[in-house]
Amino acid sequence: MNEKELLKNHITHINRYASEIKREVTLMEICGGHTNVIIRYGIRDILPENIRLISGPGCPVCVTTQHDIDCIVECARHGIPIATYGDMLRVPGNKMSLDEIRGKTGMVFEVYSASEVVELQKKYPDIVFFGIGFETTAPMTAFLLDKKICVYSAHKLIPPALKMLASGDLKVDGFINPGHVSTIIGIQPYTKIRIPQVIAGFSAEQILRSIRILLELIRDKKPIVVNGYPEVVRQQGNKNARLLLKKYFTVVDSEWRGLGVIAKSGLEVKNATLNAKHKYYDTIKNVLPSKKTPCRCGDILRGLIEPTECPLYKKQCTPKNPQGACMVSAEGSCAIYYRYGK
Amino acid sequence: MNDDVVTLAEGSGGREMHELIRSYGFSYRGKWKNYDTDAASFDLDMSRSLVFTTDSFIVDPIFFPGGDIGHLAFCGTINDLAVLGAQPIGVSLGIVLEEGFPKKDLKKIISTIKRLSGKTKIPVVTGDTKVMQKGTIDKIVINSAGVGLVKKKEMLIKKINPGDKIIISGGLGEHAVALLSKRFQYKTTIVSDSKPIFEEIRSVLPLIKVAKDPTRGGLASSLHEVAQRYKVGMVLDEERIPVKPGVKKVSELLGVNVYELACEGRFVCVASEKNASRVEKKLQDFNSDAAICGRITKGSHIIIQSILGTRILPMPSGRIVPRIC
Repeated sequence: MNEKELLKNHITHINRYASEIKREVTLMEICGGHTNVIIRYGIRDILPENIRLISGPGCPVCVTTQHDIDCIVECARHGIPIATYGDMLRVPGNKMSLDEIRGKTGMVFEVYSASEVVELQKKYPDIVFFGIGFETTAPMTAFLLDKKICVYSAHKLIPPALKMLASGDLKVDGFINPGHVSTIIGIQPYTKIRIPQVIAGFSAEQILRSIRILLELIRDKKPIVVNGYPEVVRQQGNKNARLLLKKYFTVVDSEWRGLGVIAKSGLEVKNATLNAKHKYYDTIKNVLPSKKTPCRCGDILRGLIEPTECPLYKKQCTPKNPQGACMVSAEGSCAIYYRYGK
Repeated sequence: MNDDVVTLAEGSGGREMHELIRSYGFSYRGKWKNYDTDAASFDLDMSRSLVFTTDSFIVDPIFFPGGDIGHLAFCGTINDLAVLGAQPIGVSLGIVLEEGFPKKDLKKIISTIKRLSGKTKIPVVTGDTKVMQKGTIDKIVINSAGVGLVKKKEMLIKKINPGDKIIISGGLGEHAVALLSKRFQYKTTIVSDSKPIFEEIRSVLPLIKVAKDPTRGGLASSLHEVAQRYKVGMVLDEERIPVKPGVKKVSELLGVNVYELACEGRFVCVASEKNASRVEKKLQDFNSDAAICGRITKGSHIIIQSILGTRILPMPSGRIVPRIC
C-alpha cells in the first residue's frame, strides 16, 4: 500500500469503529509534536462527529513552571552563563525573558542538543544548563552531569502525568502516547494506567494509524498499550539511558504549570555541587512565587479548554507578544493554533 | 516582548524579518528599481538592465555535507541574480574573520570559491578582509555582492495570473537537513543542494514569468513573497511537492516543517498553463525531482491540498527550533 492508500484505509476504519462505538469518545494526544501534526493536517476536522481529540500537557516548555523560569532568569541577570533549548529563551519571566538578557549580555546560549554545552563549557567554565523536557531529553542532561557540568533541572516524567489525567476530572477514553519518550522508557511504565493507549510516531499517517488502533481498542474494551511506532520504539526502551537517569537524578514530586504538583513526576540533580538550585541558592532564594494571570495555559494543558476559548488568545496574546508558554513554544497548543489560522 | 533590540527571529527569513526590513524605509532609489526581490536593477539602455544584489552568509557548521560557507556565498549571490533572469558577470567577496580562525579552513573556503568561479566563468572581481578580536564574532562571516546583465524583455518580473502553474526545480529542504544532520550527528545520505542555478533558469527563461530561490524561510516564505507581490493566492498539491524520503524522515524526527527549510540550489517558478509542462520537462533534465506542484488562484491564501483535505501554508514566523519532546 502506498501512503495515499494507507491514509484512506485508516480513515475508512476510523469511521467504521466510530459508528460501532455509538457514543462520544475523547482521545488525548500528549505530545506537542503530535499536536503540531494534528493541527497542520487538519486531522481533527476529518474525524467522525463523536470522536473528540484534545491536546494534553506534552510540551516541555509549556509545563515548566513560572517559578523555575524566574529562577533561571535571575541567574542569567546575575551574569551566570546559561545554556538551554530554543523556545525556552522566549518564555516571559516575571521581569524579562532569557532572550532579552542574551540581547544585552550575550551570556545566554541556545543549543540544539545538550552535547553543544560541552563545547561551551570550555569557554565558560561556570555554564549552567537549564534542563527541560521529559524522558527524551533527560538522558542528555545526565550526560552533561557526567561531564561535571552544572544543571538546573526542570525535567519531568510523562507516566505520572498520564496517571493523573486518567483519574482526573477529564474523561479520557484513550491516549496517543509520545513517540520519543517511549524510545527511552519502553512500554511497561504505561501498562499501570488501565486505559487504551497507542504509542505514535510523528507523520500524519502514524497519527491516523494510532487513532484507528485506539478506536478499535475502545470498541473492544481492551485497556492495553499498543506500540504503534515499532520502527523506532522498542518494547524495553533504552536501558542504558534509564541507568544514566538513575545514576544522576532523584525522582521527586514536581510542579507542572497548569497541573499543580504531581507525585514522583520530576527529576532532581543528585549531586548538590552540580545542582544549580543549591549552588546558586543565594541568587534565587528571593524569587517570588508566580503571579496569577488571566492566561489559561493551565486549563489548555489539562485539555479542559481549547486555545480559542482563552480570553487573551489572539488579543493580548500573540506569538509576537506571548503572555504564556503555550504561545511561546513551537510545540505549544496556542502557537500551533495561531500558526494554522485557527 | 522587548522591541528595543534585534532578535534572532528577525534574521530567520520569515514574517519578522520582512517587517524589520520594511521598517528601514529607504525610499530614495535614484534611477534604480527594486521589485521587492533580492536584487535591484538599473537600465543601461533601451534593451538591457544591470542587476545588483548583496548577501551575507553565516552558517553553523561552516563545513557540511555537500559544501561549505564559501560554496553558499558564491552560489547564493549569483542565484539572487539568476532568479531575475540575469547572467551574473562578477561578484565581490568581503570576509570577516575571528582572530584564531584556522588558516587551513580559510584556504579550503577560498579554494571552493575559486573552483566555482572557474567552473561558472564568473570572476571574483573585488573584495575585502577584516579580522575581529576573538570572541567578538562567530568564526567567519562572508558578504558577497554580485552584478549581472539581463535583457529587459526577459526580466523575471512578469505579471502572473490565476491558472498559471507553480514549478519547483528539485527536492526541498536538502540543504537544511544536511546541516541539521551534521549538527545532530545523524547518519544520512542527504547532502546540501547548494549549487548555481543560472543555467537551469536560462534553459526555461523565455517560458517562465517569475522565479524565486527558497533560501531562509524555505518554500513557504518564497511563495508568500510572490503571492504578496502579485496579490494572488496559490493552491499546492502536496503529493506533487518534491521531498526526498530522507528529508521527510529527518523533518518528522526533529519536528520541523519541510516547507520552511532552506534550499541553496533550488528555485520555484511560475509559468503559464501552456508552458508549464515544457518547463517541467526541461528542468527534469537537470534534476529528475523537478515538478509542477500547484497553481495560481485568486485571493490571498496559500492552500495545500492533500488526501486529508486542505490546509493553509502559513508564512514562517520565529526561528526553526527542533522539537525537544
